[in-house]
Amino acid sequence: MSSILELKNLSFVYGQGTPFEKTAVDNLSATIEKGEFIGIIGHTGSGKSTLVQMLNGLMRPTGGQVLLDGKDIWSEPKKIREIRFRVGMVFQYPEYQLFEDTVYKDIAFGAKNKGLTGDELDKAVRKAAEFTGLKGELLEKSPFDLSGGEKRRAAIAGVMAMEPEVLILDEPTAGLDPMGREILLSQIVNYHKERGITVLLVSHSMEDIARVAGRIMVMNHGALHDFDKTKSVFAKGGELRKIGLKVPQVTRIMQTLRERGVDVPDGILTVDEALEVLSSLLKKEGKIW
Amino acid sequence: MFISIENVSFSYDSVEDGQPVKNAVDGVSLTVEQGEFVAVIGHNGCGKSTLAKHLNAMLLPDSGKVYVDGDDTADENKTWEIREKVGLVLQNPDNQLVASIVEEDVAFGPENLGVEPGEIRERVDKALKAVGMYEYRLHAPYKLSGGQKQRIAIAGILAIQPQCIVLDEPTAMLDPSGREEVMSTLIRLNKEMGITVVLITHYMDEAVSADRVVVMDSGRVLTQGTPGEVFSQVELLKKHRLDVPQAAELAFRLKGCGVDIDRIPLDEAECAEMLMEVLQ
Repeated sequence: MSSILELKNLSFVYGQGTPFEKTAVDNLSATIEKGEFIGIIGHTGSGKSTLVQMLNGLMRPTGGQVLLDGKDIWSEPKKIREIRFRVGMVFQYPEYQLFEDTVYKDIAFGAKNKGLTGDELDKAVRKAAEFTGLKGELLEKSPFDLSGGEKRRAAIAGVMAMEPEVLILDEPTAGLDPMGREILLSQIVNYHKERGITVLLVSHSMEDIARVAGRIMVMNHGALHDFDKTKSVFAKGGELRKIGLKVPQVTRIMQTLRERGVDVPDGILTVDEALEVLSSLLKKEGKIW
Repeated sequence: MFISIENVSFSYDSVEDGQPVKNAVDGVSLTVEQGEFVAVIGHNGCGKSTLAKHLNAMLLPDSGKVYVDGDDTADENKTWEIREKVGLVLQNPDNQLVASIVEEDVAFGPENLGVEPGEIRERVDKALKAVGMYEYRLHAPYKLSGGQKQRIAIAGILAIQPQCIVLDEPTAMLDPSGREEVMSTLIRLNKEMGITVVLITHYMDEAVSADRVVVMDSGRVLTQGTPGEVFSQVELLKKHRLDVPQAAELAFRLKGCGVDIDRIPLDEAECAEMLMEVLQ
């Protein structure tokens, strides 16, 4: 594996030199490998959004560097636009950013600006629509005639169509119902698997993060509090609670059992895992067959 | 009873592919008692928001009746009276705050009702204290967190002194600590001030705090009961694309494996307790 993103002593200070100076990201260093699926968690105001906006050059660090494929993204400030095609960003509530008169044109917008044309563009648009589960017949509709969930997908497809090397999603499932969340999440997982690109997912849903992320960045007061494998991060439930975060309910249940002397492993993340552990335990004791 | 919904149907005036869109709310009958905390759950498009808007005459039924404290919501002479009794809080706090100073925002409602300035001051202070935001009364709303903004929106409703607050997914845009702030505020308003709360949500862990849970699907009431009664129907909820708390799901699936479980737990403490018993 080789690294795709390298963050070196990254800092961002809002209102530098004014009485309202506030450090949002504080001397953060981390390395993200090609093809990883990274979860980013942290309470509101912990610096998550500032961090991800620095990764695609929307905000310029006040200190430190972001290296994309080994090269400082700000080495040629005039070419920063190219970085935004390579590191695609889906903002919170992206459905408010649709503006074209057809869904197709909206999805194509970014890819077109990147320079894709003709068949190549058409293929990218249709492929992206497919990834997000948008039916072909919707492409010729006005984005404003779509349902909320469909609008969200169209907006995400617009970023996917640019075929970025890194895809950053800021709370992509916020406000969706459980089924909608489930579907969108599995589409992102499939996209990651099929395209082999690097995905960074910012989410407040620990259950979602637990299911999809390989490693987790935990942000607290602008600093990287922890950056480790998903299991290891959630095994430190007490520590997460102290910084205003929660571990999945099932993780907490299994943790309680462990504390009370039951022989279950640390860092159980999903109901499936818990069920497996418990049923084998019960089988051993002859309580079920 | 405080709110009585009698066989209400409603459809939006839109036509899709030449066919009229089916009823968003389809023959719903439901009552809400004074002082009750009712949670309404259901996936997107199940009609729960449409139903919520019927509770303070934002929408009027196509057929059927809604009575608030005995008054018909379709009676135009009663509209304002009903909206003083039933306040509505929406999902996005940014769409509900109007002033540039917190206390001015909270004062907006009573000002419009022509309340005496002295009393407005009292109401605003009381409302801000009730949601734990009194210290922020001179702050600018846009600088607050989502949870704080949503509590200001709730204070704005409280200043109108309603008997009931209806909240349409008030925590959907908030982070976990913001959600907790809003939920504990609602529980306190309900338990300590006796305000009737109707909470529309798709977070099951929030519905667990209610006295009664109403599950909606395709514009109808699918089932209702205490949280214990509703969330033990794991299969039914899953079939209708709803989540159950992980505690309940784990217990339910263990039961399916042949483990002797008589009561489905709703929270982690109950679940851990139940598992300890099973394992011993």
